[in-house]
Amino acid sequence: MKVYVNDIPVDILPGMTVRHALMGAGLLGEIGRKKVYDEWGNEIGLDGTLSEGMKISVK
Amino acid sequence: MKRFMPVLISLMLFMFFLAPAAGEQHTLRILYVNDFHGFAEPYKPLGSDKFEGGIAYLAGEVRRLRAEMPSLLLAAGDMIQGNNWANLFQGESTIEVMQAMKFDAMVVGNHEFDFGQEVLRKRISEAGFPMLGANVEGFDALRPYMIGEVGRVRIAIIGVATEDTPVSTHPRNVAGLKFGPPADVVGNYIKELKDKADIIVVLSHIGYAADRTLAENVKGIDVIVGGHSHTMLARPVKIGGTIIVQAWEHAKALGVLDLTVEDGKISGCQGRLEDIKPVPDGEDRVVMAMVAKYRDRVSKVLDEPIGTAEADLDGEGVRKRETNLGDFIADIMRKTSGADAAIINGGGVRTSINKGEIKVKDVYSVLPFDNYIVAVKLTGAQLRQALEHGVSAVERGEGRFPQVSGLAFTYLPSAPAGSRVGQVLIGGRPLEPDREYSVATNDFLAAGGDGYKAFGDAVKSSKDFAVVGGMMRGEKLVYNDAGRWLRDVVIEYIKENKRIGPAVEGRIGEVK
Repeated sequence: MKVYVNDIPVDILPGMTVRHALMGAGLLGEIGRKKVYDEWGNEIGLDGTLSEGMKISVK
Repeated sequence: MKRFMPVLISLMLFMFFLAPAAGEQHTLRILYVNDFHGFAEPYKPLGSDKFEGGIAYLAGEVRRLRAEMPSLLLAAGDMIQGNNWANLFQGESTIEVMQAMKFDAMVVGNHEFDFGQEVLRKRISEAGFPMLGANVEGFDALRPYMIGEVGRVRIAIIGVATEDTPVSTHPRNVAGLKFGPPADVVGNYIKELKDKADIIVVLSHIGYAADRTLAENVKGIDVIVGGHSHTMLARPVKIGGTIIVQAWEHAKALGVLDLTVEDGKISGCQGRLEDIKPVPDGEDRVVMAMVAKYRDRVSKVLDEPIGTAEADLDGEGVRKRETNLGDFIADIMRKTSGADAAIINGGGVRTSINKGEIKVKDVYSVLPFDNYIVAVKLTGAQLRQALEHGVSAVERGEGRFPQVSGLAFTYLPSAPAGSRVGQVLIGGRPLEPDREYSVATNDFLAAGGDGYKAFGDAVKSSKDFAVVGGMMRGEKLVYNDAGRWLRDVVIEYIKENKRIGPAVEGRIGEVK
């Protein structure tokens, strides 16, 4: 399924998490200096599950 | 009639004082957690240098907040699986703590099924509080809802689990079960419950986005207490008449939702998340003792012998050459998934195991990451691409170097990166570029870790995944067991076989 990290599409398998999406986007190393947010501006955990079309941002 | 008048008057007075007076307000508190995943002890999240969480500290906060007003304590799923503290006891530790904390109800999360239905059934029988799952068919240990009274307010709690459960755990764990659309089920139960309860709460493990959709589409839900997406909702969100809350993850936060109820309706609400961290005298001592008890048991379990290595298992050379330990792990992945071949990144193998007795902790040291087995269909061309990537930085000893099973290949390190791989045999036959092969790997590589693109490209070209007859099917996805760590699969294999003595077989031939 496709999710979007900072508007970049990333393909992940069902059951994969925010962590996997960040790996796919090459942004996992940013965590600590930055955090992950859902499209409504809420911080989400790295082990949170994603669904088709979800948009998350690292900032 | 005169004889009955005193009785009648008494009855009327009784009813008058029993029924809430018009305009009478009641306040109640809903305390909630979600996605605990057995993170019992305070820990430093990735990138942080501060300890956060700790279930004993969360329990202390629960006790203090409960003392202030009539309260409910709810869990929105994914409590019993995740951290070693929970996994090594298949969730028994979590349930014991939850019982001590006097949880009122829990909804089943997708990861509650990871130890199988029999274990879940056992955990539910131990729980002392109802486990809910209104949209789960075929598992009678779950109740669709519960009704209780808090203060003088009747509350109905309907539990709904994610429909994605079958695709996030091994198919055997959900055999015979169906996970239906939450909206349909909630709508039906609201009709049944609306005259029996003042407030309808949906305890959901479907994720915040789905909670929002549920609130938009189903009328009559007063509160959704959510989980699954590990969302930190610092304040409640209101959609239509529905209040939505979620308390992040891993016992790092406790949700507090205070409701004012007047004439059987919510007239006001205030909510927040309490940050949970280790603070002096903040712990609940009973729960702290339980955490320590299981921590000690973890140490004992890690020290258990599981088998014998008949040779040194080489975890040092995994980034530069084929090793017997790399072969062994890749073989287990291939066999477990039923794939044609397996590729694992050498960097995922962190140390060696000496000849002699093997203990659980030895395997944990070799495979410390929470990785699980995935198998996807790759074309021969994609498989070659993966191998090219694997050997593209062998001179730097990078973690991408592959350990393989079910295939053999040669490579010339002196050739330019991307053009090093020579002959590839799979199942003893030359690799065909346009033919599809099932290839097992770990979720790290499947997600693009260590720069592997081939698995992601295969996933990208896949059509929708679906659950058919309890089995997850997808065009390119062959195997996906997100609920069982690779290291635990290896431990089980060693326990079953007792003596292991893998040898380097010449699967990776460096051409000099």
